[in-house]
Amino acid sequence: MLQYHSFTLSNGLRFIVHEDDSTPMAALNVLYNVGARDEHPEHTGMAHLFEHLMFSGSANIKNIDLPVQNGGGENNAFTNNDNTNFHEIFPARNIELAFWIEADRMQHLNVTPKTLNTQKKVVVEEFKETTLNEPFGDVWHHLSEMVYPTHPYRWPVIGLKPEHIEKCNLDLANDFYTRFYRPNNAIVSVVGNVKTADMCALAEKWFGSIPAVEMPLRNYPKENEQLEQKRKVIRGGHPAEAIYIAFRMGSRLSPDFYTTDLISDILSSGQSSRLYQNLLKKKRMFNSIDAFISGTIDDGMFVIEGKLNDGITLAAAEKAIWEELDALKNTEVEEYELQKNKNQVESALVFSESGTLNKAINLCFYESIGQLGLINTEMDEYNKVTVADIQRVAIDLFQVDKSCIVWYALD
Amino acid sequence: MIHKESKPKQPEIFEVRQIPLPPLDVQYLDNGIPVYIVNTGKIDAVKLEVIFTVGRPHEHKPTVARATSALLKEGTLYKSSAEVAEHFDFYGGSLSTPFSLDYSSLIMYSLTRHIDKLLPVFAELIHYPAFSEKELSTYVENNINDLKVELSKNDVLAYRKLTESIFGKDHPYGYNSGAKAFRELTRSDLQRHFETYFHAGNAVIMLSGNVSPELLPEINRHLGNLRKGERAKGFNSVVARKKVKQIFISKKDAHQTAIALGRRLFTRTHEDYPGMFVLNTILGGYFGSRLMENIREEKGYTYNIYSSVEHLMYDGFFYISTEVGNDFVGKVIAEIEREMERLQTEEIGKAEMKMVRNYILGNLLSMADGPFNIADLYKTYIVENIDISEFNRFVQSIIDIQPARLMELARKHLRKEDMWHVVAGTKNGHPEI
Repeated sequence: MLQYHSFTLSNGLRFIVHEDDSTPMAALNVLYNVGARDEHPEHTGMAHLFEHLMFSGSANIKNIDLPVQNGGGENNAFTNNDNTNFHEIFPARNIELAFWIEADRMQHLNVTPKTLNTQKKVVVEEFKETTLNEPFGDVWHHLSEMVYPTHPYRWPVIGLKPEHIEKCNLDLANDFYTRFYRPNNAIVSVVGNVKTADMCALAEKWFGSIPAVEMPLRNYPKENEQLEQKRKVIRGGHPAEAIYIAFRMGSRLSPDFYTTDLISDILSSGQSSRLYQNLLKKKRMFNSIDAFISGTIDDGMFVIEGKLNDGITLAAAEKAIWEELDALKNTEVEEYELQKNKNQVESALVFSESGTLNKAINLCFYESIGQLGLINTEMDEYNKVTVADIQRVAIDLFQVDKSCIVWYALD
Repeated sequence: MIHKESKPKQPEIFEVRQIPLPPLDVQYLDNGIPVYIVNTGKIDAVKLEVIFTVGRPHEHKPTVARATSALLKEGTLYKSSAEVAEHFDFYGGSLSTPFSLDYSSLIMYSLTRHIDKLLPVFAELIHYPAFSEKELSTYVENNINDLKVELSKNDVLAYRKLTESIFGKDHPYGYNSGAKAFRELTRSDLQRHFETYFHAGNAVIMLSGNVSPELLPEINRHLGNLRKGERAKGFNSVVARKKVKQIFISKKDAHQTAIALGRRLFTRTHEDYPGMFVLNTILGGYFGSRLMENIREEKGYTYNIYSSVEHLMYDGFFYISTEVGNDFVGKVIAEIEREMERLQTEEIGKAEMKMVRNYILGNLLSMADGPFNIADLYKTYIVENIDISEFNRFVQSIIDIQPARLMELARKHLRKEDMWHVVAGTKNGHPEI
């Protein structure tokens, strides 16, 4: 049971504090409710580029890295479809530095033509390193576009193409900052060897006077039902053959989220899972195989990913995967198998509490979906799932007409 | 009227001056295996790691050490690989066999309340591994396929060529596992390696997390009867002196080119170890390093560049690695050489010294975050047979080290004339190789 204290400043900035005196460290995480889904379709990759720009320096701190390193800390950030996170971890006595840094860049960020230009180049290199140079690195471009015809999840976080990043200018950057980087669009968590009362005082001291602005209501388009199967074949340029099968699933808060997550576990969590045992070990068709969910706030993506062994055709590999999906649709799983997967989830949840920074990031995430309490009760939600639920959701999810399939063929 | 906001004052910085590690308890099983215990933390879970301090230097055939280690969890004389996986998955346990060049280890994470169900099977893996033909052939096939994907990456190609050049392609630390080596592995190779080395004389156990008093007798019951043996001999790492070269691996259609530079160094027991740790951090060991500041933050030539000192049990090496836009290759190599040169000719300023010292100490402190991290820190010293008290001396050296000493080390270890250069990708902008 994770004990925490949460409160909101008068400008709308939400805070969560969790004390843990078993670590010498303290972490602070700021989540801004802005991600790739908030981008203009002509300026994709903006949220992630802006994450880089947040390290440009602010009115009172020219170079954020200097105080972080001087304080014996580390900082980093990450962007996904839904939000952007910035975090620092320090020896606990130095945690006020994180308040100072995050408050200053929430209010007085200073993007210059030079920092913008350099970070555009860095992000274009990142695009090449993760998407173009990496085997199968472009798969998210293909899958996103197929699974989401209209929702802004249709482009990946890194952006649709390098040109979108290259054409960003100062006006666009500043506009993005003004619209989204506001206290009433953010959540801060502090975790570690700290006292809650001290953290409340620091919250007020550093963030209390940052003005709120009105946040426009955001409406993301809802996808229509997919009526027929979509396929794409990529030929050449990759070191092995691979197959990806994706389905659109419900949102993070949909009632079947936990059932769907358990279905992905039954298929591929652990070496006793179905895909691993049947397709990798027994039939030896795959070199690696995995099933996972994207976990996005709006309708998510359920993905099955397999790298083929030599001598196996893509058609045969696909057929074998469908047989496993059909098995879940046609036959109820045994109670034992469901229980096994619940036990694994329980372990994973316990181990996710072993890192200070992890806990800080998790607290912000749960608050961002308006369900802070879930951090302690999520296991109950998994426990409620029945074998009948698994079959019902599998039937609904794994429909041929609703699948999106990418083949990587050697030639 | 101009309203001038008062400038918020930077919070005071407290400097870390010591790393308070919890005491390390050591107990011995009936057969003499030491069990090092870190019993702290708040989560109801345990990590149990059994380490055999033998690796590549003890192989009778390439890749045997790694394969033996990996196959440990693929079934016993009494349980198939699938049954083992089923058992661990049911109790939410996780089992892994990470391989290092110098040792093999079998790691189990378990919730405290399930450890009694998992421990007997865990011990069976160590007592009676099956090394079945079927599992071996699956392992070989998967590794050959993985390798195919790995070898399509420029950074992997460059790194492999670099370590091979530094140590030589027949040296335990220099050879690269290829498809041929995997195919030539036989069941009896694995059995031979296992039977020669995987006994109590080479074993060390690390136990961390929420360790109940009843657990140790249980571990003794299951592993205290592992057969005894003589500790394996150490290894004398001999590397032929060769003139360093610039090596180019041509890869058409690459979107980026990988660059790797490096040289042989030494083990953690060398007197220059703490100093090189600091020097490497300054050059390319953290986000604010000179290479990152210059080549990424200032010029935008790369997404990432870093340097690293790798200490092995019987040797060591230093390397710099990056992937850059094809047009920047020549410029980046020139900048890397310039940064190494600067460390040899300009004394590091006070502010930078202070920053890097504070950064390192904070980073070391973060290793004391949680029992599993602490156990890993201790493990390094235990496995390399270095007294734990050396850690405090290492911390003190970092506090005490002076710029003059770092410059001396840079002149000794960071001369460009001593560095192998490997470039994998296209030759754009780098006509001289």
